[in-house]
Amino acid sequence: MEEKMNFILLVPILFPVIAGVFLVWKREFRKRRNLLWFVGTALLITGTFVAVNLMGGERRLTAFYLTKELPVFFKLDALGRLFALLVTLVWILAGFFSFEYMKKEKRETRYYGFYLITFGVLLGLDFSGNLITMYLFYEFMTLASLPLVLHSQTREALMAGLKYLFYSFCGAYLALFGIYFLIRMGNTIEFTPGGVFESGFLAEHETLFLVITMLLIFGFGVKAGMFPMHAWLTAAHPVAPGPASGVLSGIIVKGGVLALIRVLYYLIGPGFLSGTRVQKIWIILTLITIFMGSMLAFREPVLKKRLAYSTVSQVSYILFGLAVCERSAFEGALLHVVAHALIKVCLFLCAGAIIYRTGCKRVEELVGIGKKMPVTLWCYTIASLGLIGIPPTSGFVSKWYLGMGALDSEIPIFSWLGPMILIISALLTAGYLLPVTMKGFFPGEEFVCKREKEPYLMTAPLIILAALTLFIGIFPETVLTVIRTISGVCI
Amino acid sequence: MNAICLLLVVLIPPLAGAVVALAPWRRRTHWMIFLEFAVVVNSVLVWLLLFNRPADTLTLIHFTGELSIAFRLDGLGTVFAGLVSFLWPFATLYAFEYMTKEKHERVFFFFYTLTYGVTLAIALSDNILTMYCFYEMLTLATVPLVMHTLSREAVLASRKYLYYSIGGAAFAFIGMIFIITYGDTTEFLLGGVLNMVKVGENRNVLQFIYFLTFLGFGVKAAVCPFNSWLPQAGVAPTPVTALLHAVAVVKSGAFAILRVTYYSFGTDFLRGSFAQSAVMAIVMFTIVYGCSMAVKETHLKRRLAFSTISNLSYILFGAVLMTPLGLVGALSHMVFHALMKICSFFCAGAIIHQTERIYVHQLDGLAKKMPKIFGIFTVSALALMGVPGLCGFISKFNLASAAIESGNLLSYFGIGCLLISALLTAIYMLSIVVRAYFPAEGFREETLEGITDPNWMMLVPLIVFVILIVGFGVFSAPLVTLFKDIAGGLF
Amino acid sequence: MEFVLNFPCFSILLAMFAAIISSVLKGRGAKILNTFVVSLVGLMSLAVLIFTVRTGECYVYVMGHFPAPLGNELRFGALEAGMALFFAVIMLLSLNGGRRKIKLEIAENKEHLYYVMVNLLLSSLLALVYTNDLFTAYVFVEINTISACGLIMITEHGRCIEAAMRYMIMSLLGSGLFLIGICILYDLTGHLLMSYIHTSIEAIVEAGTYSVPLLVTIALIVVGLAIKSALFPFHAWLPDAYGYSTVSSAAMLSSLVSKGYIFLLIKLMYRVIGFPIFANSKVIDVLFVFGIAGMIMGSLSAIRENDIRRMISYSSVAQIGYIYMGFGLGTMAGMVASIFHILSHAATKSLLFVSAVGLTDVSGNHKDFEQLTGAAYRNKAAGVAFTVGALSMVGIPAFSGFVSKLLFAQAAMDQHEKMLPALIVLAVSSVLNVIYFMKTVIRIYTPVQTGYPSVRAKENKLFVVTLICFIVLNVLLGMCSQPITEWIVQGLNVFA
Repeated sequence: MEEKMNFILLVPILFPVIAGVFLVWKREFRKRRNLLWFVGTALLITGTFVAVNLMGGERRLTAFYLTKELPVFFKLDALGRLFALLVTLVWILAGFFSFEYMKKEKRETRYYGFYLITFGVLLGLDFSGNLITMYLFYEFMTLASLPLVLHSQTREALMAGLKYLFYSFCGAYLALFGIYFLIRMGNTIEFTPGGVFESGFLAEHETLFLVITMLLIFGFGVKAGMFPMHAWLTAAHPVAPGPASGVLSGIIVKGGVLALIRVLYYLIGPGFLSGTRVQKIWIILTLITIFMGSMLAFREPVLKKRLAYSTVSQVSYILFGLAVCERSAFEGALLHVVAHALIKVCLFLCAGAIIYRTGCKRVEELVGIGKKMPVTLWCYTIASLGLIGIPPTSGFVSKWYLGMGALDSEIPIFSWLGPMILIISALLTAGYLLPVTMKGFFPGEEFVCKREKEPYLMTAPLIILAALTLFIGIFPETVLTVIRTISGVCI
Repeated sequence: MNAICLLLVVLIPPLAGAVVALAPWRRRTHWMIFLEFAVVVNSVLVWLLLFNRPADTLTLIHFTGELSIAFRLDGLGTVFAGLVSFLWPFATLYAFEYMTKEKHERVFFFFYTLTYGVTLAIALSDNILTMYCFYEMLTLATVPLVMHTLSREAVLASRKYLYYSIGGAAFAFIGMIFIITYGDTTEFLLGGVLNMVKVGENRNVLQFIYFLTFLGFGVKAAVCPFNSWLPQAGVAPTPVTALLHAVAVVKSGAFAILRVTYYSFGTDFLRGSFAQSAVMAIVMFTIVYGCSMAVKETHLKRRLAFSTISNLSYILFGAVLMTPLGLVGALSHMVFHALMKICSFFCAGAIIHQTERIYVHQLDGLAKKMPKIFGIFTVSALALMGVPGLCGFISKFNLASAAIESGNLLSYFGIGCLLISALLTAIYMLSIVVRAYFPAEGFREETLEGITDPNWMMLVPLIVFVILIVGFGVFSAPLVTLFKDIAGGLF
Repeated sequence: MEFVLNFPCFSILLAMFAAIISSVLKGRGAKILNTFVVSLVGLMSLAVLIFTVRTGECYVYVMGHFPAPLGNELRFGALEAGMALFFAVIMLLSLNGGRRKIKLEIAENKEHLYYVMVNLLLSSLLALVYTNDLFTAYVFVEINTISACGLIMITEHGRCIEAAMRYMIMSLLGSGLFLIGICILYDLTGHLLMSYIHTSIEAIVEAGTYSVPLLVTIALIVVGLAIKSALFPFHAWLPDAYGYSTVSSAAMLSSLVSKGYIFLLIKLMYRVIGFPIFANSKVIDVLFVFGIAGMIMGSLSAIRENDIRRMISYSSVAQIGYIYMGFGLGTMAGMVASIFHILSHAATKSLLFVSAVGLTDVSGNHKDFEQLTGAAYRNKAAGVAFTVGALSMVGIPAFSGFVSKLLFAQAAMDQHEKMLPALIVLAVSSVLNVIYFMKTVIRIYTPVQTGYPSVRAKENKLFVVTLICFIVLNVLLGMCSQPITEWIVQGLNVFA
């Protein structure tokens, strides 16, 4: 009986993919309403399936074998659950936002088709139980999300799309080099908290493993927008339609993070990394990225690009947490995954809503936007505060843990340099996000305008996301209990 | 089955071809059906032979001394013969449709089927002399196919092809002589036939001779710097470029190298020698070189030809690892690359046939008009890149694990080359796909008026190949097990 | 069956008499007589061959009344008989292949003279093959030279006369050296019959005296014959002589005349000097070096050539290089390979000359490649035959060239120091062969619009039949090499 139920694990992966392929194949719907009904239902059904899976106990499923030593294997563990929940939540909200936003765009069916496919692929990534399965979905994630970037088919979008593609594959192949070795050297490729290698074995092949780890970090780091391979992110995310850039920035970059956690904490083991040169290099890179991302965002006049730079910086907060290899930093990193996902999607959706209503893309055009679209800007403000890390928002909690973890760790210099840079970057964050709020709400005396209509399909997701930011900030324990179970077994 | 059948399968194709060329046919359909029938019968016969292997050797002619022309079916031959005989009927079917626009059809088909017989003879060769003889025949049988259009480029290309191929064979000849002199026998035996007592002090000389032999046979396998004939030979009609210059001819070169490495010189003798390092360096360079040239090339078929150059060296990389696993990797890439490349070449041919567009930049937006062809092309492109779930991944994985297992430091760099090449493959293949599906804004669809997918004769082979690409991608265990048995000498 | 033993003598005399009779016949009659004689000689040689192969022995045939050591002798075994048969066959085929051109190019009142020369050539070749007497050999070398000159000049074309003069001068130089060599030998040993010279030389070597004169003699004889057989670098006369004479002459010169001298050289090596002594002298190293140099240089010159006939001629230089390289290896296997190559090259080269003429005929008698474009479509038989010849030259399996290449390579493997250079030069020379022969093949198969007429096979049956015979001969040599090599080995064993 139990065996049979394991089959359910595949359903949330396959269902949206099939629905998406159907849409791509079908191309045209007679009425837009039908399309929306179809997509909406598909999203909700998938959501239900995910929920069913999350409620249930641990499930394991070997779907088939690529070769004898490469099974495609799914497993539902705590980390997977956390990510799956996050993905589902964001995907459904952004999906409903799109219903309104995409009204003005062409080729809607194709957009929704790939939107659904990417959804399924991401769930597959979250449910992957071993290295090869994860790599499989990792590659497909790149491919499936590519049409979202390319959507507008302007020359700029095409160039950005190709850039996205090549950076991603470059990263994937760097990682693949390490993956080959991990598969060959390890007894198993199934994700096991705390790693699968014996410390003696690791010590024997130390140089080799250091090289491999470095390559894996660089490889998956590309997806997470880590310096020096971050250039694609700021090109690709802004050109996508609003909700798509939201999920790209909020969720897909986390694919890289997930892969890194899986590889470092579930295969090689965190114990190996700490204290090595590779760890220091990694920390340095993340700190550079954090600072540089914020600086560049500060200089950037186009709102969506500014948000993309902000993503570069913020995701490296997470990577910093992972690199420290310390328990509370790890918890902070995971919490920041959740927090940043919600916040960044919210911000991008706000930017999307503004563009949708007013067509304004640059920050200086947004004077008085708070008068025109108060709900949107309020959500924007709350999310911004979250990103800066002002209590009582989720960002504050996650950064708190990150900072504490760094201070607790015994890495020379970085234990205090890290938190310092986090704080500087937070200041910069305030510097690049809050001007919009201030100019938006306080345009000056002579500013006159009328209030724009804000459709429910747009405001509802924004409000939910903003509320979640506050909720997690006020009741962090809800998420932290889950995270603690993960960190408990990993470190 | 009786060993005489080995001769039969070699003779049926040329005879059938001769009948087609010489007999007075009243209608095109008649000889088409006859030829297809003959080819299918021959393939069926081959497959029957593969499953009921005749144990004994069929000796045709005694040359001087112990040298003879003889046929025997062993493990390696099984793979190559199986591959060739599977592809040929489909390729012939495709060629019927393609060649409607060309002249001298029947002469063309005579040589086309003649090549089938000769290639099978190479696969079935019992000893090095037989293989050498048919290897030369293959060159001669295929020259008229390259020259088919009789244009100036075709003549130049075939001239170059001849110079290179026969010139290469002249060096392979030296290797053959050494095997005859220093071997216990000229037959192919797994593990090599060199008599170490006779070799004595001459180890270095023999290793140098292996190097020469490798280069000699490597000319057909388009090893750098002897590869420039292959892209040039792309002037031939597409069925030729697809089947011969992606499979039969070039793989004969690779097959010959596998034979001399594993079955004549023997891996124990070569492993760790300077010859191994030298050939490995050449192969690695070719892998990267081929891909880089493919990226630069804008002519569609030539781009694929450069891709072939690189992929052939994947096979050779497996070969020069000189371990059983290396042989497994080489064999799997031999089979899988054949499927992928013939598929992409046939797509290119279909595009040329339907639209007469030959440059990459002319393919903008075509995917909408030829959805089936471009769907298939996309799959083959992804497979060539090595996206997991498609067969290219399996062979690359096998190659990489063989390289890791061999423990040779140089082979670790080889993995690096494989991955660089994979990235470059992504660039040159996906840029075509992206172009076709996402034409830049301002693209005028009216220019594509009247273009459609080709008819069933072209589509059926493609669909079969694409099913196999996916099928082997997700389930390759039996095939890989077979390869392992062959490499272990069990089969 | 003992009667068969008279055949060698008969065949020499028959050819000689045929020459004398031809001088008073008309062209047509001379032609018929010649064909008859060549065929008869062939048949007689065949009979001798069968007889000697069966008995496996070597026979001495005493000429005239004086017994040895004073008298004149013929000596023959399987090798000699086979060679004679082969020469007759090639001669017949070459003549048939060029019959039409002979008619066209030679003035009617000179035609019978041509056959006189051919008959003389045959008789001298047979004499060179069979004789056991050094002085007889010298005499027939001269006859051979003169008849060859006649064959070259007969068309009365300016270039031909010039070529003939050149050939004459070089040849006479060669025979002069050869003569000096013979003189010294005679001086050293006091004999002219080969077997007796050999015994004396063995004694001399044993005694350790006269080592320098002996070496000089060997060198003189070898150089003399090398000049006559156009070994690099003495090949300057060859391209013109082969390139401008009528095709039958070119075919016979390249495949018979030079081979006759080479056969004589083999005979001297084995029967006069003794193979071990020869192999130990430094001369073979020189032969080896010149052989491989010829292989490369001949091919390089051929690549540069723009005239098909001259290209084939230069290719001869390369092929002669192969043969001398085989000698230079100084082993039995090398010898076998060289002798096989004599056959293979003779068969192939005459085929190439004859078919090349078929091609030039349909290209307005132009011999440059530009005009030959597409010639194979205009004369299909010649095109196929030329391709076969080219493939054989390149060393494609199933044709004779491959077997000789194989034998050379295998022979080289026995010789440690010469192994690598020989093999590599063999490979390089194959590559060079590919370049010029395949270039030509592709050129003649490249279609082009020209005003030149096409020739149908029916219009020229004799030509086509000849070509088919040549091709069959070539493939036979290529596929059934085992009995042939066995025969060569057997012949060499009883040769000395």
